[in-house]
Amino acid sequence: MNRSNKRLLPILFAAIAAIFPGCSSKNSAQSELKVAASPVPHAQLLEFIKPDLKAKGIELVIITTDDYNMPNRALSEKEVDANFFQHIPFMEEQIEQFHYKMESLAKIELEPMGIYSKKIGSLNDLPLNGVIAIPNDPTNEARALLLLQKQGIIELDDASDLTATVLDISSNPKNLKILEVDAAMIPRSLNDVDAAAINTNYALEARLSPSNDALALEDQDSPYANVIAIRTGEESRSDLEALKEAMTSDKMRDYINQKYKGAIIPAF
Amino acid sequence: MELDFELALRLLPLQLWNTIYMVALASFFGVLLGLPLGVVLAITDKGQIAPKPRLHKLLSTLVNIGRSFPFAILLVALIPFTRWIIGTSLGTNASIVPLTIAAAPFVARLVENSLKEVDRHIVEAARVMGSNAWQIVTKILLPEALPSILSGITLTLVNLIGNSAMVGLVGGGGLGQVAIQYGYNRFNAFIMITTVILLILLVQTVQWGGNYLVRSIAKKRGTLLYE
Repeated sequence: MNRSNKRLLPILFAAIAAIFPGCSSKNSAQSELKVAASPVPHAQLLEFIKPDLKAKGIELVIITTDDYNMPNRALSEKEVDANFFQHIPFMEEQIEQFHYKMESLAKIELEPMGIYSKKIGSLNDLPLNGVIAIPNDPTNEARALLLLQKQGIIELDDASDLTATVLDISSNPKNLKILEVDAAMIPRSLNDVDAAAINTNYALEARLSPSNDALALEDQDSPYANVIAIRTGEESRSDLEALKEAMTSDKMRDYINQKYKGAIIPAF
Repeated sequence: MELDFELALRLLPLQLWNTIYMVALASFFGVLLGLPLGVVLAITDKGQIAPKPRLHKLLSTLVNIGRSFPFAILLVALIPFTRWIIGTSLGTNASIVPLTIAAAPFVARLVENSLKEVDRHIVEAARVMGSNAWQIVTKILLPEALPSILSGITLTLVNLIGNSAMVGLVGGGGLGQVAIQYGYNRFNAFIMITTVILLILLVQTVQWGGNYLVRSIAKKRGTLLYE
C-alpha cells in the first residue's frame, strides 16, 4: 500500500462512522429506530412521521443514501432496523444474490409507470398495427409489458413474469408493433409512436403529468411498489409496528397525494 | 452457461439481417454524400488543382464537427432531422439516418486522403495537356485512387458495424441491440457470445471482400508487388 492510500484510510473510516452514527461510539438507546432510505421521496416521508414516533418514545434515525446495495447489507448486519428504498422484485433479486434474510414490512408508495400518447385520447383508440414504445432494460421492459397486459392490450405467456420480454407475448389482437427503446429516449420520441410506456421520473422530466396526461397508470397493486424492508421474523417488534402504523396512516396517504400530486401514489 | 438455442434462433437471424440492412444502406448513402465532399475537400486545398482555401476551411470544419460527435449523442441530436426524413425517429429505418451522417464525414476524409496521394506527375501531365478540373477528377484522380478509396469504404463498413451496436437506444435492432439487451443486461452469456461471434464473422467477411476487390484491381493494373 502506498503513502497516499495510508493517508486516505482514516478519512474513509471517519466517513463510514459518519454514515452509521450509532454503530461505533454510543450504545444505541432502546428507543432508537434506524432506517436507511433513499433521499426522495423515501427519506422525506420518514421525516414526516418523525414527530409521531417521537410522541411514542421512539427516536427515528434516518440514514439517507443513494446507494442501492448498502441499505440491504446494513439491514442484514443489524446496523439499521429497516430500510426503505426498494420494490419487491429488486429485494428478491438481492436475497437470491446475497442470501439476506429479510422481508417486506409494508408497501408504502409507488412511482407509477404510465402509458402516454400524443396521438390518441384513450387506449381503446389504439389503431390496428399501431406502434408502442417500451423501455428495453430488463426490469422496465417487463414492467411495461405487465401494464399493457393489465390494460387488456396484450397477453403474456406467464401472466406475472417479472422478466418478460416482447418474445413472451402470447396474444396481441391489434397486431401492435412493440418497439424496445432506451427508457430515457421514449419521451423524446413520443411523437413517433401511437403510445409509449414511460417511467414517472422520465415523464416528469419531459413535462408530462402522470395524473393528467397518462392514458393508464400502474395502480397500488403493482409489484413495483416500494416497501419498508426488515429482517425476517421481526415484524412484531413494537417499534417496527409503530413505524408501519405511522407510514400507512390516512395522514400519510393525504400527505403523499398532496405533496407529489400523482407522481407518487400511496400503495397501502 | 445455458445453451438457449431456441432464444438464439428467434433473435439472431432477424437481427443479423437488420445489421446487414442498416450497415449496407448507411454505407451506400454515406458514400453518396461523402465521396463528392471528399473530392471537393481534396481539390480545393492549397496547392491542389482548384485551390479555394475558404471553402476548404469551411468544409473541413464541418467534417470535423461531424466526426466529433459520440455516436450515441449524434443519434439523439439528429432526432428531428431523422423524423423529417423517415417520418419517425424510432426503429431500423430511422437508424439509417444517424449511421449515414456518421459515415459521410468519415468517407470524405478517407477520399480526400486517397486523392491527395495520387502521383502529382500524372496530374501535372494531364493539366499540361489541357484537362480541366472535372476531367482531372473523373479521368485521373478517381480511377488512380480507386483501390485506396475501396479500402476506405471497407474501413467505413467495419466502422458502421461498430456504430450499429448503439442503435438499440432508438429500437433500431441489430446484433448490437441483442448483445446489450439480452446478453449483457439479462446476463445471458450464450446470447452475448454467439452475437459477438456473428459480429466477428461479419467484420471478417467484409474485410476479406474489400481486400479481395482491392487486390484484383491491382492485379489487373499490374501494380501488385508480388503475385
